Amino acid sequence: MIGSSTFTLILQGLLTGAGVTVVVTLVSLLLSLSLGFGLALVRQFAKRRGLHAMIDLYCEIMRNIPALTHLFILYFGLASIGFRLSSMAAAILGLGLIGAAVTCDLFRAGFAALPKGQAEAALAVGFTPSQTILDILTPQAMRLALPSLGNYAVQLLKDTSIVSAIAAPEIMFYARSLVTSSFQTTLIYTMVAVLYLALALPLMQAIRVLETRYGKLKA
Amino acid sequence: MIRFIQPYIDHAGEWLPLLLEAMGKTALLSVSAFALSLVFGLLLALCRNTRWRALERGVAFYVTAARGVPLLAILFLLYFGLPGIGVTFDAFTAAILGLALAFAAQVAELFRAGLMAIPAGQREAALAVGFTPYQSFTLIVLPQVVRISIAPLIVTFVSLLKDSSLASLITVDELVLTGRAMATEYFLPLQIYVAVGVCYFLIAWPFSLLSRRLAPTAAR
Repeated sequence: MIGSSTFTLILQGLLTGAGVTVVVTLVSLLLSLSLGFGLALVRQFAKRRGLHAMIDLYCEIMRNIPALTHLFILYFGLASIGFRLSSMAAAILGLGLIGAAVTCDLFRAGFAALPKGQAEAALAVGFTPSQTILDILTPQAMRLALPSLGNYAVQLLKDTSIVSAIAAPEIMFYARSLVTSSFQTTLIYTMVAVLYLALALPLMQAIRVLETRYGKLKA
Repeated sequence: MIRFIQPYIDHAGEWLPLLLEAMGKTALLSVSAFALSLVFGLLLALCRNTRWRALERGVAFYVTAARGVPLLAILFLLYFGLPGIGVTFDAFTAAILGLALAFAAQVAELFRAGLMAIPAGQREAALAVGFTPYQSFTLIVLPQVVRISIAPLIVTFVSLLKDSSLASLITVDELVLTGRAMATEYFLPLQIYVAVGVCYFLIAWPFSLLSRRLAPTAAR
């Protein structure tokens, strides 16, 4: 049977990893939301065709190649030409850059769903184009995008598990090293699953609360 | 730029067969897992509409759990964790099973949305003109559900294809693991991982384009 001290040891290790998981999730979420919003604004409102094509290409590349491959390029590939990133930096940058493509699409869908009259009315009553975009359209588009952004946040939390493959010390990384020291594979990986669920469920709940409070557009 | 491209020219003869074989493995893994997740997903979606509350609750819990636990944790549990209690899979089976279990939840949600979008009158009319309940489901309701769900299903397939890369971490020799082996052999990780990325892109992009073509309300 498993001693309670082993159990405590495993739990401690996994919880240390959970701290890093939360940090990676939050920082890369912030990065991807801000980058993605910027890209969406440019793609949706700038008149430059060249810029549109570049953003579309960026999104296609990010969305049709696995995150693991992107991380390997950033971490192992760039190091081989002398551009060395720490595993945490590569993890956050990788997830953030991929997330930017995802959230760009979600924000754009939000803008696209707004009735044309919103922009026309704002311009007609004398808002400048930038005021129209930032003060009138953006708040509404954000609300429309909220549910899908929430799904993305949960997905991102789960996707942080793969940064263990480039040695970022989060939950899976600790799990793998604990396995080599204690051999309690069944116990450890079950605890890992439960721990992720314990992180994800409050997040899902928080998103549901946000959605009910801010998600509905007033007619 | 030349220094970046030169290795591809030098090693094309050795790399191409390796990458093509690995692409085949990735494709086989993804297609098998997706087929299985369609079956699981449809069953789960149907269970969600039954009169047995316990079954409904169980399925709802499964869907939530699969949404909250990362695929990598599921794969490790299946491949490294279960042998501890005497259940052993080979890596490829564990990868198919893990992907299917994780994506069945997503597929189930898509089918459920599709089922709810079909007006009840369709089934009632089918029953009224003499179809059996089984026939009215398979011949009348299901084809319409598939029609509605086809675009999001293809999107799901693309994310499954991408997530199949995680199978490399439980020693399935698909694209990423092949890439790792090549990277240690040739010491050209940047060129090799970019090539791996291109391989994924070549498989995934046509499906991404197709899903956009089939989407009922094309996002403009």
